[in-house]
Amino acid sequence: MWDRLRESLDLTLFWEYRAILLRGLLQNIYIFLAGAVLATVLAFVIGVARLNKHGTVRLFSTGYAELFRNTPEYVFLVWVYFVLPVIFSRLLATKVSFSPYVASVLALGISYSGFLSETVRAGILAVPRTHIEAAMALGMSRWMIMRRIIVPQAIRRMLPESLNQYVSLFKATSLVSLIAVEDLMYQVSMITVHEMRPLPLYTGAALLYCGIIIAAAQGIQLLSERWRQRGWA
Amino acid sequence: MWDNFNRLVMANLHTLGVGLSVTGYVCFCAFALAVVLGAIACLVRLYVPFVRIVAIGYIEFCRATPIFVQLLWVNYVWPEVFGFPKSVLGAGIIALALQSSGYLAETFRSGIEGLPRGQREAGLAVGMSHIQILRRIVTPQVLLVMAPSIVNQMTVVIKSSTLVSVIAIPDLMYEALKLVNTWFEPIEILTSTALIYVLTIFLISILAKRVSDRFRNKFGLAAHA
Amino acid sequence: MHSPSPDARHATPKAGPIIRVVNLHKSFGPLEVLCGISFDVQAGSVFTLIGASGSGKSTLLRCLNLLEQPTSGEVYLDGKPMGFRIEADGRRLPDTAANISRMRSELGMVFQQFNLWPHMTALENVIEAPLRVKRFTRKEAVETGRHFLGKVNLLDKANEYPARLSGGQQQRVAIARALAMQPKVMLFDEATSALDPELTGEVLEVMRALAKEGTTMLVVTHEMGFAREVSDRVIFLHNGQIEEDGPPGVVFSAPKSERCRQFLSKVLH
Repeated sequence: MWDRLRESLDLTLFWEYRAILLRGLLQNIYIFLAGAVLATVLAFVIGVARLNKHGTVRLFSTGYAELFRNTPEYVFLVWVYFVLPVIFSRLLATKVSFSPYVASVLALGISYSGFLSETVRAGILAVPRTHIEAAMALGMSRWMIMRRIIVPQAIRRMLPESLNQYVSLFKATSLVSLIAVEDLMYQVSMITVHEMRPLPLYTGAALLYCGIIIAAAQGIQLLSERWRQRGWA
Repeated sequence: MWDNFNRLVMANLHTLGVGLSVTGYVCFCAFALAVVLGAIACLVRLYVPFVRIVAIGYIEFCRATPIFVQLLWVNYVWPEVFGFPKSVLGAGIIALALQSSGYLAETFRSGIEGLPRGQREAGLAVGMSHIQILRRIVTPQVLLVMAPSIVNQMTVVIKSSTLVSVIAIPDLMYEALKLVNTWFEPIEILTSTALIYVLTIFLISILAKRVSDRFRNKFGLAAHA
Repeated sequence: MHSPSPDARHATPKAGPIIRVVNLHKSFGPLEVLCGISFDVQAGSVFTLIGASGSGKSTLLRCLNLLEQPTSGEVYLDGKPMGFRIEADGRRLPDTAANISRMRSELGMVFQQFNLWPHMTALENVIEAPLRVKRFTRKEAVETGRHFLGKVNLLDKANEYPARLSGGQQQRVAIARALAMQPKVMLFDEATSALDPELTGEVLEVMRALAKEGTTMLVVTHEMGFAREVSDRVIFLHNGQIEEDGPPGVVFSAPKSERCRQFLSKVLH
């Protein structure tokens, strides 16, 4: 067992192919960034909608959030890649197809907007009612209250949790190899087929992701701590 | 579209049903294993002086590595290095368990550290041993207070289980994809599969929430995130 | 044997004091909270500790049942050392966990925050220790439990969960829980401080009754009325040292220590 263990921790093979692997990782990062932007935009729309005064709006937005929080990311990814283009094709009467990238960004963005919308909602709700009342008593308009009192505070309160969500989103980008995006895991599989040495490659991939995420998580911890000390969040 | 639906989905309901039962089996075993591993990791981290570094490393690794990566790693690397798992089913269960055990360990830790000190002191004051206190005082309360997080982890396991189809475990997703590859008609099959997952997860989380809320209200235990 | 004897008199006349504290020191890091405390408590007596917040009263009590480890000094319960044992050759060794647990069960403690276990009913709270620690049968434990719940006038709430009980009721259940182990000494750590004023009465009532029966009690309290009426001896602690020690008549009317005088004047007006 021990020499097998040593073999899997012998990362020279991983290092050898670092150019290709890094290129793969870059795909993950691009998809992550695009997906995060999409998720954030949708999350704000839905999150605010969940606090709307009209019951129907609240119902639909809550339905949206619940739907995507309960949908497995992989299933949704496959669905967006295979089914959505067909639906659009039929609706628009032309042939529509998504590239794997587009499908990934859409699927992950929409999927995680469900979680993020909950964070947005919680952030807005966490602004103390008393702050809003004080602003109203001073005669500020609804819009001004929203802009100057609620949004700044809500964003600060949302930050720690939403950063965790973004980390989860990045982890989820590892799935895109399953719809043939040439990301890190895709490259790892290709190299494995070529080199027939899965041990160091898969272990290396696991350690790489692990390292990135732990570094990110530590960074978030530090930032959260500093914000908390400044009385921000 | 409806006769498509009948042809593709209804006719294959049995296959999908078997797939769903495999999913259920995998999730159940994985979650049970995750609870055990998570509890051990948590206790070692909190109470065993030197080995706690290992526990912390384990927990961080399990939480930081994407489930897909863990799955492939356990499936392809472990048999060579450790000699087990001997089947893809074992690999799937172990990988899912690993992932959730990290989160559960942190959940348990949060619960244990959040428990008021006085609860344990009251146990000590009447002469209970640490093990008795852990069993009778700490564990029930931690499980009740952290129930929402634990239920959430259950849904995560079910969602992650869709990936075990990749290593050829014949779960619901595997059967659905097989059908799609056979018939080349993705809409009805995939949409139905997605809905089955959504409904199952939704029902389980509602049910678990209902049950745990009832107990928590009975004991007046405060809600925890 | 295991059969419970209700109304066991705790004051079996014995030669030495039931509690003896010798030169107790306790520091939390650089802060020394107890600076050389020594006293004896006779069986059957009620011993009250008063003093300002931070004077070390609670810490002292918690050192008696080893919820806090003394930095130095000794505590003897009924002649036996707590927390350490003396070998045949006179060496001092830390005691086993099992022994410490056993000795703790001979001291009953009532906490300021009650600390009832919320997932158990009142009765289950009371019988938990007799069941698990003294290994009573379920029947014996329930009998004992109901007896002591009756003693604190809460038999009708036996199957209620603590969430449904008022503060005063919870504290009385806590007292029953401590009594159910039939300890040699009862320790009360500011038992009424967390209660709304109208609820302290019912708890003090129970404590008074226990005192009258001859229970050995060490009470940390701010309730000066209770201290004056019920105690046999009062100790005033200041900055971790005993500044005044005597019967309540003396300590309350004519304390020798200036600080004690100041404290009492602030508290008693």
